[in-house]
Amino acid sequence: MTLRRYHATAMRKLLLLVPLLASCEWVADPMNFTREEVPRYKANAEHPAPVANPIGLKVMAWNVKYGACRVDFWFDFWGDRVQLTEAETTDCLTKVAALIKEYDPDIFMAEEIEVDSKRSAYIDQVRFLLENTNLQYATFDETWNARYVPSEGVGRITLGNAIFSRYPITKAERIRQVDRTDQDGLTATFYIKRAIGRAEINLGDRTVAAYVVHTEAYDFDGTKQKQIKQVYDVLQEETMPWVIGGDFNELPPVCDEKAEAGTPESCEGKLRLAGFIDERASSKGTEYEQPPYTPSVMKPFYDDYEPSIPLARYGIGETAQQPFFTHTVLGPDGVNDEGVPGRWNRTLDYLFIRKGETWASTDVLQEPGRLGIVGDPSRLSDHAPVVGTWVLP
Amino acid sequence: MRALLLVLVATTALATPRPARDTADVGNRGSYSVGIFNPLRIAFHNRFELQANPLLFFVAPHLDARFAILKPPVAEGQLPMGVRLTAEAGLLMPTFGMRLMKGFFFPTWATSPNDIGFMLIPRVGLLASGDFFTNDVLTVRIDGALRIPLGPNNATPMNSFLAPLEILFAAPLTGFCGRLGGAYDHAFGDRLRLRGEVNLYVTGQQGNLEVEGQNLGPVAAISPFIFTAHLGLDIAVFQYSRITVGALFANYDQGATQVTTRADGFSERTRVRSNNILPTLDFIWAGF
Repeated sequence: MTLRRYHATAMRKLLLLVPLLASCEWVADPMNFTREEVPRYKANAEHPAPVANPIGLKVMAWNVKYGACRVDFWFDFWGDRVQLTEAETTDCLTKVAALIKEYDPDIFMAEEIEVDSKRSAYIDQVRFLLENTNLQYATFDETWNARYVPSEGVGRITLGNAIFSRYPITKAERIRQVDRTDQDGLTATFYIKRAIGRAEINLGDRTVAAYVVHTEAYDFDGTKQKQIKQVYDVLQEETMPWVIGGDFNELPPVCDEKAEAGTPESCEGKLRLAGFIDERASSKGTEYEQPPYTPSVMKPFYDDYEPSIPLARYGIGETAQQPFFTHTVLGPDGVNDEGVPGRWNRTLDYLFIRKGETWASTDVLQEPGRLGIVGDPSRLSDHAPVVGTWVLP
Repeated sequence: MRALLLVLVATTALATPRPARDTADVGNRGSYSVGIFNPLRIAFHNRFELQANPLLFFVAPHLDARFAILKPPVAEGQLPMGVRLTAEAGLLMPTFGMRLMKGFFFPTWATSPNDIGFMLIPRVGLLASGDFFTNDVLTVRIDGALRIPLGPNNATPMNSFLAPLEILFAAPLTGFCGRLGGAYDHAFGDRLRLRGEVNLYVTGQQGNLEVEGQNLGPVAAISPFIFTAHLGLDIAVFQYSRITVGALFANYDQGATQVTTRADGFSERTRVRSNNILPTLDFIWAGF
């Protein structure tokens, strides 16, 4: 063996050792896939059987904030928590499950749901909701799987999106979204890898597709816009009847943010783009600063798909739009630096179906009383659930 | 590799192998050793030595004392023989070092007065070593460390991806770390020593989450048992020094789960223990 060949062999052996340095588990999963099937889960508890061959489906999309309810985490800038106790997590999830059970959806799309994360006490939240709602089936697509995130003591994290259903899920997959390009290599390694979740649901007489998305929140390089366009394109190719729900981290296209002030398309007076009451000054200049919103990127969804809350109903200006806001970082029990209590202040979450199909009884569950609910969503997450009945085509 | 061979060739002829490391042996007065990662050990008396890790000392002040309870006389130039029994006692103040890790392994706590508390970590241990064959050493050890809080503490265990970090911070973060271990050290001629070591660690519970003086209850439970096994080779270089290479295996609970698919096509997620395989490398100057 020549010295060069000997060195090459030695190097290959060393490289083989690299993944073993911290065991066979990735320190941070790079998620090298384009589109792949993901596991399906079934409740162990027996739930009431759904209506056979339904003519409509109750749909709910909700960013459940990893079962933290209104505990302010460090990247919110209103608090500095990095983990929850076991009791805090189960108490919150119990209330989340109760609210889901109150609305009792046939399909539930959950974002920011975790399965074995240090910050949420390593609780399998998919299993928790399966056993504590009427939803019999679920699929979970991981978008962030790191054995240890060396930032603020975050530690182990497995976060993702889930689709729950009362009807059998026959196939589940995730479709990789583009990554941010404005991060250094180390940060990017340990950062979320966004993906679109898709599930095929057998209703008896037909199969429908349900999608869940959670696009980027903090990029300054146009990643979110690319991801939203990718979601649009994926839906264009769908052949089954479909419904999509999720946290798009973008405002509705009431106006064009690029339009000059005073022009008909201008956002002035029509839609707040910045200066939300829950943005803390200390977040400016950090990696969790709110980037400028670009509502025009959502226009194709409103033009070519059917939103649960159409723009005509959404209205012009904050007073009209307020009933449909879905997000506030600051909860109702907190006040901002000016002493203003937190309240829902922007819309980031949506439900869409194919153009020409029909929604019924749509709403945003902001508070007790909406669609008859008793639970208080404003204390269960930093997002409100968006709901509606999809009249099947 | 060529450089290593050169060092080995340049090494003077050795009458006896290097002594085994991490045993109950306490050096004779004036002897010392120091590694990059191994601690500095200085014998101030034939039955008493002090040790500290130079890399950690200035951020986490600590000192360990070792007292030889049983120490057969050792002839000049010979290795210790017979049963040796040594007691250890140490004290660590880890807070400064831990605070340097805020923002990475611990929270910054930017909006609250929460912080890593001051604490003292006393440690006691007992080691016994004996010979089975010429120049082979069997060592068994038991030790334990406790946390003595000197004020409020908001840090919780790291549950990190490296078992050695968990062991290092077990007492400061869980309140206790006990160890029962054994090692066998075999000499291959004058230049090489092969050492196998196994340890079972027991840590304290994960504890409660304290936020701004309020006890919010227990954080998630993690198994308190950590198992490690180490296989290492010591290569004698120069007159007294050695290079150590090896691999450490550790098995512990880091909160991981594994997905398995059932016969009906649906999956289950079950809790599993995690494994580490880590390389170890050091250069130890001089030696006992």
